[in-house]
Amino acid sequence: MRLLLVEDEIDIQRFLLRSLEEAGYKAEIAADGKTAQQLAVDGRFDLLIVDLGLPDMDGIDLILRLRQLGVRAPVLILSARRSVDDRVRGLEQGGDDYLTKPFALAELLARLRNLLRRNLPAQAETTKLRVLDLELDLLRREAARGGRHLQLTQQEFVLLEYLCRNAGRVVTRSMILDQVWGMRIQPDTNVVDVHIYRLRGKVDGDGQQPLIRTMRGAGYVLRDR
Amino acid sequence: MSSGTARRRMRSAAWRISCWATVAFACGTLAVFVFLHRFVASDMQRRSDEWLAGEVETLGDVAERTPKNALYDRVVGEVAELAEREVSNRQSSAGQAGAPVFFLQTGGDGSLRLWVGAGDGALYQQALRAAAILPGRPTDLRVTGVAIPFRVASDALDDGSHIYLGLSERDELRVLNKLRLRFFLLWLLLVLFGFGIVFFTTRRMLGHVRKITEAASRIGHSDLNARVPTTRRNDEVSQLAQTLNVMLDRIENSMRQLHTITDALAHDLRSPLTAIRGKLEISLPAVAREEDAEPIVAAIEELDRLVDFLNKSLDVAEARADALRIRRSGIGLCELLRTMIDLYEPSLAEKGIAIALQCEDEVKVFADAGLMHRMIANLLDNALKHLPRSCQVAVAARADGDRALLIFEDSGPGFDPAVLEHVCERRVKGRNSDGRGLGLAFVEAVARAHGGTVTAQNRQQGGARIEVSLPVAAADRE
Repeated sequence: MRLLLVEDEIDIQRFLLRSLEEAGYKAEIAADGKTAQQLAVDGRFDLLIVDLGLPDMDGIDLILRLRQLGVRAPVLILSARRSVDDRVRGLEQGGDDYLTKPFALAELLARLRNLLRRNLPAQAETTKLRVLDLELDLLRREAARGGRHLQLTQQEFVLLEYLCRNAGRVVTRSMILDQVWGMRIQPDTNVVDVHIYRLRGKVDGDGQQPLIRTMRGAGYVLRDR
Repeated sequence: MSSGTARRRMRSAAWRISCWATVAFACGTLAVFVFLHRFVASDMQRRSDEWLAGEVETLGDVAERTPKNALYDRVVGEVAELAEREVSNRQSSAGQAGAPVFFLQTGGDGSLRLWVGAGDGALYQQALRAAAILPGRPTDLRVTGVAIPFRVASDALDDGSHIYLGLSERDELRVLNKLRLRFFLLWLLLVLFGFGIVFFTTRRMLGHVRKITEAASRIGHSDLNARVPTTRRNDEVSQLAQTLNVMLDRIENSMRQLHTITDALAHDLRSPLTAIRGKLEISLPAVAREEDAEPIVAAIEELDRLVDFLNKSLDVAEARADALRIRRSGIGLCELLRTMIDLYEPSLAEKGIAIALQCEDEVKVFADAGLMHRMIANLLDNALKHLPRSCQVAVAARADGDRALLIFEDSGPGFDPAVLEHVCERRVKGRNSDGRGLGLAFVEAVARAHGGTVTAQNRQQGGARIEVSLPVAAADRE
């Protein structure tokens, strides 16, 4: 997977490049709009990450121009602005996504995966999820671990399903709030943690290997190995 | 037209203005007519008096010159009949019941000497005697049995007899009646027409004013691009619209300035924060031991709180300046509260705090979903952070007229009385609070941006009560 990162801040370039490579992406960098335009038109990229505040042009204008030039790759917009501009919303509806700075790396990677998945041919919707000895029946809304039926509430099932779908990857608290509860809020209390503790109490029974791991400073991971 | 719109129309300023204008117009035209009527009536009387005076003089002459023999009656009678015929020619209304003219001569002893006219002369003589008519001064005379009065002129002859010539006022009255009727109809028509014109022009003009008012009230916190409609005419209303638009231009300009400043501030702070957060996060996996990771994790969490604080501060600042950018959609408060309470319930339960939602009918507001989420999260965070163990929180949402009320009540210690008055201001917090004092200020800012209010008070039975009042969504905006 080849990505083009359009970002002028060297500090941000550096750590993004490193974490993208760690996640298995090959990334190239453009520090301004002009370079970005040349690179994007010449090279075949699977995805573009574009910061809105470029030194020579507005990020949105760059995206619109690239679209005119026939660049079809999806775009993840990075914005340090306070409010989400109407044009960004327009792009979001066109299949692109945005992320406000500062962001958690896990969230950036999750959004990248989502955007890349959209461009792949649709996979048959599964009715069963399986992670190690954990099994989720999506039709009957039932979960079992090692053959033991788990008594989950509706909300806990949705939360576990989200963790399963992202098994092996870090999900942050704000990703959980966004995906499971449908709200972009930043509670300054431990509301998500308590839900995870409760879920963990049901999923990781006595004597079983813990499945839900806390990644301090990042979020949670459902182990898949 | 339904009675509702009719009643609304009758309460409108256009209706009141047209009513008063019509009253003034009707009185004015009525006064003009009264004056005209009196002028016409006196002029007609003057003319008939002149005629009567002339005829009486002629008749007097004839009566005096004609020898008092057997032919006297015929000669004088014929002259009188000539006068009658003259009247008949002049006023084409003769031939109806009762002659328009009578002639009567009394002798020196008061006996009836000569009578020319319809009906019984004695009755007329009786009436004349009672009226005591002086020569040379025409007077009105009412005769019993005759509906219409006569105008009578008299002359005294040298032989002591009196002659009287009477002219029926029938024609005069008919003309005046006709005049009155026509005028009344015309007047009615004019008044109705005038009312119509005044009503429709004022309504049209006030309609422009109403449109301006409507547009101006629509131009709220979020919609500063809109302008009030202007007309091509350069009248007062159009000037009002133009002035309003100029004012809106200025407001929009300062809003844009404010947004530019807050955006720049946010941008300049967020870019380095992004880099710091990224570096911290990248360094995490490299740290093998949990104890070494702890300071980095703490730093990341502190940084996230700082960003949240920055966002809230800027939101509060913008809301204080009525410049918070909002994106409205129809939101059911009860459904939202259920989701949020579902999210917070486990954390609250862990602290031993019971929470109950009272929400019977769905209450819809037309609001920014993101801000509403954050506002309610703030209120619940407050409860979670500040309430001691085993307290109760009661949340309720209900519609009260055109307001949607969101009520948070708890059985905790309540607000510190020292800060209760200023609890919604920035940086105001109770003595035991460890927050930054932004929570309720943010709640108030969001409510304010949506045209709502927040009241915080201590309940009489103990505990705090926060009431957020928002405008209910209009049915057509859902």
